[in-house]
Amino acid sequence: MKVNVKQQQLAHCVSMVSRAVSPRSTLPVLSNILVKTDNGRLRLSATNLELGITCWIGARIEGEGAITVPARTFTDLVSNLPSDQVIFTLDNSTQTLNVRCGTSETNIKGIDAEEFPPIPEPNLDEGVPLNVVNFKEMVQQVAFAASTDEARPVLTGVLLKIDGDRITMAATDGFRISIREDEIPNAVSRPIEAIIPARALVELARIIGGGDETLIMTFPPDRGQVIFHMDDMELASQLIDGSFPDFRAIIPQSFKTHTLLSTSGLLKACKQAEIIARDSTNVARLNIIPETDEAKPGTLEISAQSEQTGTSEVLVDASVDGIPLLVAFNVRFLREVLEVIKSDNVWLETNAANTPGLIHPQGDEHFKHIIMPMHIS
Amino acid sequence: MNRKILHLDLDAFFCAVEELHDPSLKGKAFAVGGRADQRGVVASCSYAARMFGVRSAMPMSRAKQLCPDLIVVSSRHGNYSEVSKKVMKAIEITPFIEKISIDEAFIDVTGVGEPIEKVARDLQHKVNTQCQLPISIGGATNKLVAKIANDWGKSQKRSTEPPNAITIISPGVEAKFLAPLPVQSLWGIGPKTAGKLAAIGITTIGDLAKTSPASLEALLGRFGPELIDRAKGIDNRPIEMEHETKSISNEVTFAKDVNDKEHLLETLRGLSEKVGGRLRKESLAGSTIQIKMRWADFSTNTRQTTLLSVTNLDQEIYSAASALFHENWPKGKPVRLIGVGVSNLGPPVYQLNLWDDDHQKEENLLHAVDELRERFGRDIIKRAGQVIRKEKFDKPEESGE
Repeated sequence: MKVNVKQQQLAHCVSMVSRAVSPRSTLPVLSNILVKTDNGRLRLSATNLELGITCWIGARIEGEGAITVPARTFTDLVSNLPSDQVIFTLDNSTQTLNVRCGTSETNIKGIDAEEFPPIPEPNLDEGVPLNVVNFKEMVQQVAFAASTDEARPVLTGVLLKIDGDRITMAATDGFRISIREDEIPNAVSRPIEAIIPARALVELARIIGGGDETLIMTFPPDRGQVIFHMDDMELASQLIDGSFPDFRAIIPQSFKTHTLLSTSGLLKACKQAEIIARDSTNVARLNIIPETDEAKPGTLEISAQSEQTGTSEVLVDASVDGIPLLVAFNVRFLREVLEVIKSDNVWLETNAANTPGLIHPQGDEHFKHIIMPMHIS
Repeated sequence: MNRKILHLDLDAFFCAVEELHDPSLKGKAFAVGGRADQRGVVASCSYAARMFGVRSAMPMSRAKQLCPDLIVVSSRHGNYSEVSKKVMKAIEITPFIEKISIDEAFIDVTGVGEPIEKVARDLQHKVNTQCQLPISIGGATNKLVAKIANDWGKSQKRSTEPPNAITIISPGVEAKFLAPLPVQSLWGIGPKTAGKLAAIGITTIGDLAKTSPASLEALLGRFGPELIDRAKGIDNRPIEMEHETKSISNEVTFAKDVNDKEHLLETLRGLSEKVGGRLRKESLAGSTIQIKMRWADFSTNTRQTTLLSVTNLDQEIYSAASALFHENWPKGKPVRLIGVGVSNLGPPVYQLNLWDDDHQKEENLLHAVDELRERFGRDIIKRAGQVIRKEKFDKPEESGE
């Protein structure tokens, strides 16, 4: 193998795939990055068997070949090389990769590329084309609500459903649920339903750009996998087995109090309350007070207290229609959903102190976020 | 550097307070407590009453037999704690103060740049004049000897007047001071242990100090060798200052080391229930769950985990504790002591769940269980598993803090 690539492109590519490296694996090759010539380009891949990321960069190839090199060594080296041409030469007899750049020359001991787990090839003709920008936004609005508790694997995933040209994503940790719907460019003939690890989608959202590119999603038959493909990038993830909890039933159909607030105003207030609340299980009390007459507008009072840190009280102007309510929420949950709402104003809809509340952007029916309150005994 | 520890004990505290209210009681044989015809007991008795053999905790009827002219004053506790607070404030010359009870405290005066005798005299004078109460003080290089010195000093003054004694044991002579005293003067030696020791010819602390650790271990078990240190007047325990509850824990020492997983898990469940019950009683909940395991060689492991939200529910504490146990117990390794603790305490606030309300159900159940136990005792209600295994496992020694 003899390959010539640009350092900046290489560094970008290495930082993308290294997210899939498993640093403490019992299988040494999983701590490595695959470096391989592939149809006139250089391919880098890493996998932890659950998540695999591949990235291609343009290269001048003078000799074909493949090797795996330790991710840590390779990443550190590449990021410290000067912004210049990097020349890889593989010594097949010793499985050593020679890296030359500027005035430096490094030899890295590798592991045979044959030992690297095979990476599935997507059948792009059967894939579902997705708009990158929309898809990225969907992931950002949903994935954060997934659980990190490995004891309940289904909840660490994001439900993805496609029926005709409707796509739905939902994620829940049992305390809150984020649901986002959208349309896709081409309707599918058969409905799709899968649970994709939230972590994989978060990685995907991180590495895909914001341009007009097309993202193709494929489900290789009988593999229990999903592959997201773009021209210079591919991400493959295992799917999560199991049935996602039925969430349609828990979306309240009516509310007793409708509160309209400035999204940024409420977000700021939540951030302030959280400074105190984070030392006492994140509990913030929301006192929703409807307007009494023209002269006295409605308000939302957010208060938090902590034995050690102190107390906090923030008032937010609100347009409140309905009955007054005192309800406690995990203020981190509030902050996290407000951070992904893009409309200027946001609805907070509530019934009682022990029933779910609904948060959704004003004038946008595609996104719903439901949060259970906290119980104060 | 030697420490300077004082043990302060108000003389016949309840009686002294009553004398302040009614000076005519001064010098008379009287007792504070419940009435004889209502099965009352003596809470405190004046030194004049003690001359007749009246002692505290004695049934009032018995006290009346010993001293027919005994005046019985009913206890008016509210005022005692007020007076106690005043005394504690007066003696708080350093922050290193450990209040043991309403009328007893240790103070570490190592940092006070005066001889321990003078510190003791000044403190006594302060209490005598500012609070008008008699107080006896013992001083030594540690808590053990200071307390025994004080008890000994008080017992040396037998009269109808309060002792108001000061007894200081100089550094280096602790063992010599303790040697002639009966073994019962040591903490942890009750009549039963004293009987066992007497059977092998040990009656004084001096005898005890000379005994070999091996023979004491054979006689008293693991507690034996610890006693020898105490008999030599060695005690490194620090002054424990008052602090708010930072954690709640319970632990058990098994009579015999246990290597049976089922037994250990059952013990963890019982401990989790105790800790949960104590948290609920104090309206607290915590998010950090800790287990402690001590092995046969006395080495100890503690492991902890932090939950997403606080809890005071037995089941949640137990599932975290048993998960820690499974991760950290080398299969079959004998365990001498096992404990469960909860820290990071705060008010019991928890996140409601979108789908199930197991939490609410568990809380309602435990509320009912706690109420039953409050009224009828701990054993009134148990998990089925505990009833079945009750006979199978020994009853271990328990402690909580």
